[in-house]
Amino acid sequence: MTVGGPYPVLMASVRSVGPPGGESARAPAPWEANTQATCDCLSRHGTLDPVERRRAEDELGATVYADFPVRARPLVVTAHALLELGAISEPELEAKMNAVRARFRKA
Amino acid sequence: MSDDHDHHAPIEGGDEISEFDVLETAIRELAIEKGLFSAEDHRRFMEWAEGIGPHGGSRLVARAWLDPHFKQRLLADGTETSKEIGIDWLDPTGTGTPSDFTYFYVLENTPAVHNVIVCTLCSCYPRPVLGQAPEWYKTPHYRRRVVRWPREVLAEFGLHLPPGVEVRVHDSNQKSRFMVLPMRPAGTEGWSEDQLAAIVTRDTMIGVAVPRADWNADRAPTEVRS
Repeated sequence: MTVGGPYPVLMASVRSVGPPGGESARAPAPWEANTQATCDCLSRHGTLDPVERRRAEDELGATVYADFPVRARPLVVTAHALLELGAISEPELEAKMNAVRARFRKA
Repeated sequence: MSDDHDHHAPIEGGDEISEFDVLETAIRELAIEKGLFSAEDHRRFMEWAEGIGPHGGSRLVARAWLDPHFKQRLLADGTETSKEIGIDWLDPTGTGTPSDFTYFYVLENTPAVHNVIVCTLCSCYPRPVLGQAPEWYKTPHYRRRVVRWPREVLAEFGLHLPPGVEVRVHDSNQKSRFMVLPMRPAGTEGWSEDQLAAIVTRDTMIGVAVPRADWNADRAPTEVRS
């Protein structure tokens, strides 16, 4: 087989995917799997009961955090629960998020 | 190769990093710093969760085929009966994943009814018994179409059901996870539980395929079938 191409019929299908945020954005992001493991760890060590967390996801997801995508609710509610429990504080979380953001975006 | 590599654009952090990436990392690192769990704990859970396969589901089906009482219990209470094969949907140290906790329903196929599962909202899936969802299960076109035109979608998988068979599509959600209990195929009389479990592949428990006595998922599909 020679390399050849590019074939317009194939290139058209690539263009149809569109910018990020379309269909391809439905693939689970790494942070979703990481969140799952964090929930497992918190449950295993007795910090956060999984059933209570699921209930909180339902309640907060339908009210306070209704604007978040469904798939983000486990993450947001886990953060919320750790704040509620006093396991972490809001200034700590904000400072850590700033530090992570700076680290990740460092050239 | 090294030349090609050198020509790659440098990885730009900026736009690729979502605020959910940032929040997730921040939460995890704070929890580790405060001693709620260790980085190794987290890595182990990741490795374990990504390695779960459909073997639990295959075992449930094979045992249900052999033991009518087990089948009765499985159909009545899937969550509780899973424990009999060592899958506790609530216990993170077992084979279950607590983050998936919900009600687990097993749907029995009969000569008159064929079941198939989907999650129209996102990609809810019975991970403790089937492992990670296949990529196609998460695609919008499967999720959207299987509820409207199930026969056509099943035919695309090569599953052609007779017109007299009712197709029931079950939509998973945060509260309910489903798995299909397929019919035991002919030609498996006298088989052991292990032999039966081997032919109960992932797709037969999603409902887009039916088990066959002459096929299992460990074989490379190189045979051409008519």
